[in-house]
Amino acid sequence: MSQSRSQSQPISASSSLELTSSSTRYVHAWARAMAIMTFPLIWVGGLVTTYDAGMAVPDWPGTYGYNLFLYPISTWVVGPFDLFVEHGHRLLASLVGLLAIGFLVATLRGDHRRWMHAWALFMLVAVIAQGILGGYRVLADARAMAMIHGCTGPAFFALAAATAVMTSPWWRSLAKTSPVRQSQPNPSQAEQGRGAPSRPTSRWGSFLFYLLPPAAFCQLIIGAQLRHIQPWTPPARFLMWVHLHLTLAAVVTLLIFWVAYRARSISATNRRPLARPASILFFLVVVQLGLGFATWISNYAIPWQDWLPWFARYTIEAKGFTESWIVTGHQAVGSLILALSTVLAMRLGRHRYLHVD
Amino acid sequence: MPPDLSISRCLPPRALLGLALVSLGLLAGCNAEAPSFQPNRLLISRLSQETELDLDAVSNDIQLALDEYFGSIDTPRWPEATLAEELHLPNWIKWSYLDRAAGPVGRKQDKIERGLFRKHCAQCHAADGSGVGATAMCLDPYPRDFRRGTFKFKSTRYGAKPTQEDLRKIIENGIPGSAMPAFHLLNESNHTHEDVEVVTQYVAFLALRGEVERRLFTLAMRELGPQQRLYDPSSKLSDPNLFKQQDQWVRETIRDVAQSWSSAHESLIEIPTTSIPIFQGPSDLQGPHQSDLAASIQRGAELFQSEITGCATCHGPTGRGDGKIQDFDEWTKDWTIRAGIDPRNRSEWKPLRKLGALKPIVAPPRNFSTGVFRGGSQPEEIYRRIVGGIEGSPMPAAPLQPQNPQGLTPDQVWDLVNFVSTRPFLPQGSQP
Repeated sequence: MSQSRSQSQPISASSSLELTSSSTRYVHAWARAMAIMTFPLIWVGGLVTTYDAGMAVPDWPGTYGYNLFLYPISTWVVGPFDLFVEHGHRLLASLVGLLAIGFLVATLRGDHRRWMHAWALFMLVAVIAQGILGGYRVLADARAMAMIHGCTGPAFFALAAATAVMTSPWWRSLAKTSPVRQSQPNPSQAEQGRGAPSRPTSRWGSFLFYLLPPAAFCQLIIGAQLRHIQPWTPPARFLMWVHLHLTLAAVVTLLIFWVAYRARSISATNRRPLARPASILFFLVVVQLGLGFATWISNYAIPWQDWLPWFARYTIEAKGFTESWIVTGHQAVGSLILALSTVLAMRLGRHRYLHVD
Repeated sequence: MPPDLSISRCLPPRALLGLALVSLGLLAGCNAEAPSFQPNRLLISRLSQETELDLDAVSNDIQLALDEYFGSIDTPRWPEATLAEELHLPNWIKWSYLDRAAGPVGRKQDKIERGLFRKHCAQCHAADGSGVGATAMCLDPYPRDFRRGTFKFKSTRYGAKPTQEDLRKIIENGIPGSAMPAFHLLNESNHTHEDVEVVTQYVAFLALRGEVERRLFTLAMRELGPQQRLYDPSSKLSDPNLFKQQDQWVRETIRDVAQSWSSAHESLIEIPTTSIPIFQGPSDLQGPHQSDLAASIQRGAELFQSEITGCATCHGPTGRGDGKIQDFDEWTKDWTIRAGIDPRNRSEWKPLRKLGALKPIVAPPRNFSTGVFRGGSQPEEIYRRIVGGIEGSPMPAAPLQPQNPQGLTPDQVWDLVNFVSTRPFLPQGSQP
């Protein structure tokens, strides 16, 4: 049966499922913390761009000669806002780095899946690389690097969300109900009289779930092009990015609508792990559409004065509070959509390939 | 054989991940072209119809002259005091501020941030102030092209340059209903409190340079014969007298343009006092002077609809911007109507897009019922718009007495101000 399988196969040996529940809970807790704390990190990173605070701290990895963790709190908190945002971003990044270290240690000690050990190491390397990117942006005073840093950050967020899924009790427990397990010594659903769960979606239906994360990521990259305009960007190219961003927004929205509908129509056994993130995605995309519209107004206004006189009265306030938080919020919610769609795709993938007919 | 349940089967297909990574590479953008001062190609295109001269060659010479006197886009040049005085350059422009405004965003050894124009302004106005920045095609109205030396909202008479204060006010307060932001928050930071002044001076610098370029074309068409050059630095040694003549042309042109900037304050529009009550807010309509105010509004309505002012022709009889005439601004007319191109005919203007032309859009007359005036809603600002016009737009300066016997008196202008200011509250006339 599974004699030909290597030791690295995730579900092959029964011992890989018989992990102590407390150690696996710790692994999952670290992974969840790492994913959860990445979101405020991305949000504050967005504020750094919005408030042009990228060079508020001209040195790295220290802050004005101080060790990062020893910079006086009073100076940080009551000092200039751009310093507060940039130094805060670095502190949050360090926290995520520490959580990545904790996750690696917990995984090595509490998760017997070797591929997860490699993955945990990869996540630590990724967060360090992201930190180095940010440091290079500062040391070289390279504004273009800020755009790249702003794209790889959400990618890390998606990977962190995927990590949380892969370490979750749900991920492991699903294997217990897999028809694969019917050939294992331990009892399966068939022996318990419940029968094998059906495949939740067709091949093409699954493709649309899987398409959502890269579509969301492409949309994020295009948004970065609009946000980090270079002085030499021709107007026609910027217009092209705008059209692409709007088109892909429609595609992502329709995808999410379909995914949310499909997730709810899946049988009750499979619904919750899919339906909940799909429902949240549905809500987020509606919010994101509104934020996108508000972002455009905050940056460029709209000449629809005859339709709504408010547009005639509105004066954009550069670095204004409302404008800044709308624009930053749009970027942050985009990252959240990317992460949640990754969660959804991971869970569906887990469903499909553990319930192959 | 049991299915392979390794992680790779549970992740999104590799192809899709690969697509995302490739997208990152493709979409990141690899264009590393640095900005530079570009010749005014639309102007060259129009003037080429009026002369046999090779204007591309003339343009090259003009760029040489401009580089000599104004420096490059990254390294601005401003003549030292003696020459600056001889050229009548505005004394409120400082080289240290130009140095901070120009070039790429970043810091040198002194840790002082530079490139402020590119940081705050270039995405709309372009790094050379031509108004064809990255976002230009998406905006309405378009970002200002400073090179014409024309500015709409100022405290000076029609045809005069804005003052330093006029420029700073627009940058600090923005323009409502447009993409021009208000940058006043920069004044509140220790790090950025100088930024507005830096950018203000650089805007004037770009306008000055741009207008010198335009006038040098006109001078070349007037003075040069075939094969003659406008500015040839290599002739400094080979033919000093010729170079002296060429340099004199350039200096005279700079002097003429610079003098208009330096003397702007001499053309300030005087805001006279009056016994007529001036509308400040809706409570005035019920205040102690309501009858005098109502009478003024009524007179203003009559003037508004009279042939003397012609206001209703564009703004409509009740000031809702629904008049009969829909015209274009001067920046558009420069390369369309004056070049024999119908701005409403797409097939005629479309070929000029490769020269940097933006789709012509009508400059709509203001709808006063919104209560918003882009140059400022205060009565004094509306007075200035009526008396000084809005240069560059179809809004002319009102004829005034005593220069024009049929013109308006200051009190009549105040009547118009009261009529215009009250449109949001009295849409049909002088009565609610």
